Amino acid sequence: MRSFGKLLPLAALSVCLLAFPAAAPAQNLVVQLATEPPGLDLTATPASATAGVVFYNVQESLVKVDRHGKLVPWLAERWHTSDNKNYTFFLKRGVRFHNGREMKAADVKFVIDRAMNPETKHPYPQYYAAIGDIVVKDDYTITFALKSTTANFLLNMARQGSVIYPREAVDTMKSEPIGTGPYKLAEWVRGDRIVLVKNPDYHVKGLPKLDRVTYRFIPDPNAALAALKAGDIDAAMFGLGPEHVPELQKDPRFQVIIGETTNDVILSMNNSRKPYTDVRVRRAVTLGINKPEVVKGAMFGLGRVIGTNVDPLNPYFVDMSNAMPYDPAKAKKLLAEAGYPNGFEAVLRVAPQYYYTVRTGEVLADQLQKIGVKVKIEQIEWSQWLSRVWKDAEYDLTIIGHAEAWDIANYANPKYYFRYDSAEFQKLFQESEVTVDDKARRDLYLRMQKKLVEDAPVVWLYIHPRLAVTKKGLQGLWKDLPLPASDLSEVAWTK
Amino acid sequence: MRRYIARRAAAFVATLFFVSALVFVVVRVLPGDPALVIIGPEGSPEAAARLREALGLNRPILVQYAEWLAQALRGDLGVSLQYDVPVGRLILSRLPVTLPLTLMAAVLMAAAALPLGLYAARRHRRAGDYLAMAVSQIGIAIPGFWAGLLLILLFSVRLGWVQSGGFAGWSSGLWPGVRSLLLPAVALGLFQTAVLVRATRSSVLDVLREDYIRTARAKGVSELSVIGKHTLRNALIPIVTVAGIQLGQLMAGAIILESVFALPGLGRLALGAIAARDLPVVQGVTLFVASSIVLINFAVDLLYVVLDPRIRYE
Repeated sequence: MRSFGKLLPLAALSVCLLAFPAAAPAQNLVVQLATEPPGLDLTATPASATAGVVFYNVQESLVKVDRHGKLVPWLAERWHTSDNKNYTFFLKRGVRFHNGREMKAADVKFVIDRAMNPETKHPYPQYYAAIGDIVVKDDYTITFALKSTTANFLLNMARQGSVIYPREAVDTMKSEPIGTGPYKLAEWVRGDRIVLVKNPDYHVKGLPKLDRVTYRFIPDPNAALAALKAGDIDAAMFGLGPEHVPELQKDPRFQVIIGETTNDVILSMNNSRKPYTDVRVRRAVTLGINKPEVVKGAMFGLGRVIGTNVDPLNPYFVDMSNAMPYDPAKAKKLLAEAGYPNGFEAVLRVAPQYYYTVRTGEVLADQLQKIGVKVKIEQIEWSQWLSRVWKDAEYDLTIIGHAEAWDIANYANPKYYFRYDSAEFQKLFQESEVTVDDKARRDLYLRMQKKLVEDAPVVWLYIHPRLAVTKKGLQGLWKDLPLPASDLSEVAWTK
Repeated sequence: MRRYIARRAAAFVATLFFVSALVFVVVRVLPGDPALVIIGPEGSPEAAARLREALGLNRPILVQYAEWLAQALRGDLGVSLQYDVPVGRLILSRLPVTLPLTLMAAVLMAAAALPLGLYAARRHRRAGDYLAMAVSQIGIAIPGFWAGLLLILLFSVRLGWVQSGGFAGWSSGLWPGVRSLLLPAVALGLFQTAVLVRATRSSVLDVLREDYIRTARAKGVSELSVIGKHTLRNALIPIVTVAGIQLGQLMAGAIILESVFALPGLGRLALGAIAARDLPVVQGVTLFVASSIVLINFAVDLLYVVLDPRIRYE
């Protein structure tokens, strides 16, 4: 096909040199990572880039959220509670940290005590606020006495901030996290890659299946696509956009995994700013948006339309996508009732760091124009978005994906950037936090969601899909992501 | 000459001082908070506030600057807020990528631009000249990042000769390192090569019109000597001036190409640090780049003396 006679020796040399990565043992995986983690300490940063590498791969917690979103015993082989206030965890025996020392109950106490201590700057102290006494009964038994019933206690023990690490490694976790996970950190070449290697003493027999995992930081999606096609990386877990999917689905070399996530993309309205203080205006904006068209226009049709906060991977999910269907006529009527017969102008602040925010914003601006809301899109840098929009609520409209699981609590916090302040909702939420009975809690969640739809503090648009692309033959990846982690313990090459 | 060097050294220190103060103020005045970036929207503003306190970002800006300056004068550029690693070590770890990348681009630029510019000037207003100018026009028109992607598509995806990005490192030998920098160096040097071709051509054309060239030719001096000895050396002053400026621009251009080729260089370090408002790193990288540019300019000035003995610095 190509006749490069003179270049043959050069080509041969290149092939020899390329042979190193190509001929490596099959159980190696090279994964693209779009964002380099800001640090590897899960007890210091909530960044999903950190969780994507460290959580479940290097460090684990007492309880695990499995691939179906269910809470399962993990470093604790079981737990017991008779009153939902006193919990006893029985630790799995023989679990070793990567430094060779066995994990004991004293480590668990140290970790949770440290998370509760405000001095340590744990990003989520609120998850441990209800814990009273922690008592080590013996090396493998530990009890937690809660100050009040906390429905999410077990979930909180499964969160990324609750990973168990050895006390002696606490000072180096930002750059060298040590845990009990299936992989050990081998090296972090800042700006280039993170390498994990198999933990031969892993406490689950037969796992992990890979010998080595290399995360390469490739920020540019086109460069990532090229790297995938050139065979330089085996998989892109989050870095590719929906526009790449049709082409890759046709390519016999690759498999595309499309699944659910907890990342709900929302159009947020500043509830403390006029005209969004008026519920009729907020409802009008909701009714003025054709969500299926948004998903089509901004996401190539990938992504599930939603109608409220609770995501489809949550056990209390109810489909409310049709609760406020597209109805521009009704939207205009509501705006007129609210005193805006000719609509109004709004500034939509988006951070292009997240590609979908800009695209979604463009489609929304076009749709809202039809009900008289003239949207001006203002692109701002991510750190500015965090300061101005998220922290100071200096905005009219904004779009962002909320990746946290179980984040309905945000709507009960009037200081959160939505500035949604409903005493009724807050009461329902507080009740749900102390209600342990599943049926009663489910009912409360339903009532909360109905209240949210009614008050329309934000517009819930769609769930950002999980889009992972791998070479054919890679198996064991989670299809859905019930939490922002990327568990590679069961991943293996079949050929 | 000694006084000249002393003057230049003083200007060097003043430049660095000015640049550091400017960067400090600009990064601090920009909206954005490193603690918020580290905590992110998944955390709480309260957690970010605690972190800000711990990082010492709540103190008055002048106090922070004075402290940084005192440290910097002792050779300590501080610790990265984002990575928790000394800035000096971070910069040193990125130099093995950015320096060779810039140098390779510069070598490619000089190796391609000088002969091509010379050729175009000698073929003035003939087909060869027009062709060379057309090629250089294309080089000016194509943005580096796009050229980079095209090169990746051809040489990595289609032909599979080189890897699509990333840096192999120097520990495994010279060639793997050079190979991973080859495409980015070409993409980086393309625009500057095109500019230098034009600068070379016009400078050579100017000299070729000089009386002494006509005299040399009239005396029967060989064409090789006319071009190599009489023309090129006299034409080099403006070329070296342009090339010196371009060397600085190559370092700046590395920021974008390092992202396209996923290279762990200084440019990407700076880009990430600006996004994360990691001030100590932004400061460190800026100072490094500013020093390099001042030093390059100084070297260019010294080169003038070598090229043209009539130039004296008093």
